[in-house]
Amino acid sequence: MIATTNGHAAPSLNDATPRDPFNNNCYGTNVDRGYKLVSLPVLDVTDFNERIIRGYEEGYGEKELPADLSVARSLIPAGTASLRDFSNIAPEIPEYIPSNCTGCMDCVTECPDTAILGKVLSESEWAEKMKTIPEADREMYAAQWSKTKKYYDAGKKKVGEGGMFQIIIDPSKCKGCAECVTVCDDDALKMVVKTDEFMLQTRKSHRYFKNIGPSNEKYISDSLLIDMMLKEQTMIYTGGAGSCAGCGEGTALRMLCAATALKYNDDWGIIAATGCNTVYTSTYPYNPYLVPWSNSLFENAPTYAVGVRMRWDQMGWGKKPLWCIGGDGAMFDIGFQALSRMFASGMNVKVFVLDTQVYSNTGGQASTSTYMGQNTKMSVHGKEVGGKQERRKEIAQIAMMHPRTYVAQTTCAHINHFYKSVLGALEFDGPAIVCCYTTCQPEHGVADNMAGEQARLAVDTRAFPLLIYDPRAGDTIRKRLSLQGNPNVKGDWFVEPKTNKEVTFIDFARSEGRFAKHFDKDGNPSVTLLAANQDRLENWHVLQELAGLR
Amino acid sequence: MAQLVASFDFTPGTRDAALEFLKRTRWELRSLRKVFVFRDKLQIFDINGDYFEVRGVGYPDADIVPLLKAVNTAFDPATIHDPIAASFKEFATGRRYTWAQDRVM
Repeated sequence: MIATTNGHAAPSLNDATPRDPFNNNCYGTNVDRGYKLVSLPVLDVTDFNERIIRGYEEGYGEKELPADLSVARSLIPAGTASLRDFSNIAPEIPEYIPSNCTGCMDCVTECPDTAILGKVLSESEWAEKMKTIPEADREMYAAQWSKTKKYYDAGKKKVGEGGMFQIIIDPSKCKGCAECVTVCDDDALKMVVKTDEFMLQTRKSHRYFKNIGPSNEKYISDSLLIDMMLKEQTMIYTGGAGSCAGCGEGTALRMLCAATALKYNDDWGIIAATGCNTVYTSTYPYNPYLVPWSNSLFENAPTYAVGVRMRWDQMGWGKKPLWCIGGDGAMFDIGFQALSRMFASGMNVKVFVLDTQVYSNTGGQASTSTYMGQNTKMSVHGKEVGGKQERRKEIAQIAMMHPRTYVAQTTCAHINHFYKSVLGALEFDGPAIVCCYTTCQPEHGVADNMAGEQARLAVDTRAFPLLIYDPRAGDTIRKRLSLQGNPNVKGDWFVEPKTNKEVTFIDFARSEGRFAKHFDKDGNPSVTLLAANQDRLENWHVLQELAGLR
Repeated sequence: MAQLVASFDFTPGTRDAALEFLKRTRWELRSLRKVFVFRDKLQIFDINGDYFEVRGVGYPDADIVPLLKAVNTAFDPATIHDPIAASFKEFATGRRYTWAQDRVM
């Protein structure tokens, strides 16, 4: 029992409590873990979590907590978002249908909130673990495991014993966006209403999932990058961040953290530029990161990162990766000079851009990344002017023209391309930038479950081409630049095989609310949108030319 | 598993009744995800794959346009009636208003 500021003794927030009887809100993702302690004179992690987090969880934090050194400095320990409970924010939650599951891991990878988790055990381990489940719940819990071809049949050949696979939903972190249901091609997930009975079963199942230990790594293939999230070490971005339901940025940050942790565990850090990403990952007192993280201003994150890099190098930490994260506003616009200067330094700083093509955090103002014709708060579609009139700036092409800089443009919907882009940036000994298309549901005008589908459509319609530019790949631009992953890479537009029709930027625009005003009642696109379509084609031609395909 | 939730048999002159059907029974599906438009029927799917079916109207028919608009389909009215080799056309239904559309824009 721990004494709290309001004078009552209470169990640790990392243990079961009367409010959280199955301890769903606790540290550790696939398995339980203790608080991540640090040795700092100004931050007592246990005191922070038990006293300050409790104050906010119980609703008296802002009014009653004294402005002592911990509170006044706004320091937040690692992973405190684990203790946050989102159980009551959505009316629906996914239900897993094990008989349909193939173990593809798409749902686990694409969840923006680390709320859907996977585990694989050998059949004999599984049988032993099931004996530890209370008898009354054993049948219910055992029925949630599946014998997939990927882990069971292939496991027999590879490991000598079939692997049992389970997907579980963390009811305390799920925001009900249904992205997992959308990416599942096998009807293995569906949204159901949160009844008391179903939530009780979900809470118990999540607890048993954490109790039975980690996955058996013999079943995790190093060559299948999508399996990396079966390893606890990759769970650096915990659930509990304050992002919108279905946020494309959340998925991108999770995947970035997983890929980096796959190679470096938690021995790396993040400098973040102000934007949505800093708001939902540091809404006091909640922090989803299990690595050191700092935020300065909108305009100077790359400069800040250069300073940290220099200090780390002085300390002999030259091999420790440092990611600098920002949105398109921070990297294309306000921090562009700092970004360019960092590239020119040749320093080992990796930049990750969450490209929503708009200032999402401040309500949707146009950035230089915004598409021509897009309706935003600073380029409002009216009678005289139809949305943004300028062309979109291409950060990838600009970055490629800096000396010896690794550049990638990718999306979370192209999972292998994403992981290869990030791992390539980490392997590269010098500056790197990975620009990721991230769907912003409120600003793009799409449903909560659409992050992946819209990212894929952005690539298919040349709105956002995939690319990797690796200076190590050759002595000419065409050797360094790969457009692999784009459809119909030698042609102008992708041709939909079902209809035999070209899929253009107009089709992409038709699917999003941000371009809705460009279509008349008969569905005809405006002159501005036709110009935007031409702009996207011309941009694609430039890339084709640089890659030697034109 | 995905299942047919409700259906409507379309005949000439029942366009308004079909629109009424989509409006009145909409709550029986969850968030809409996509539509399949065949030559002679329309299927409207939610995120779980459950669906409505409107039989007797398809992409060659003029009446398909208001039905598709009623469920917020991202389609091109200029090409919707064009014949195709495949058995159906697929469109997304995930377009929404942007944030503050009603106040600022």
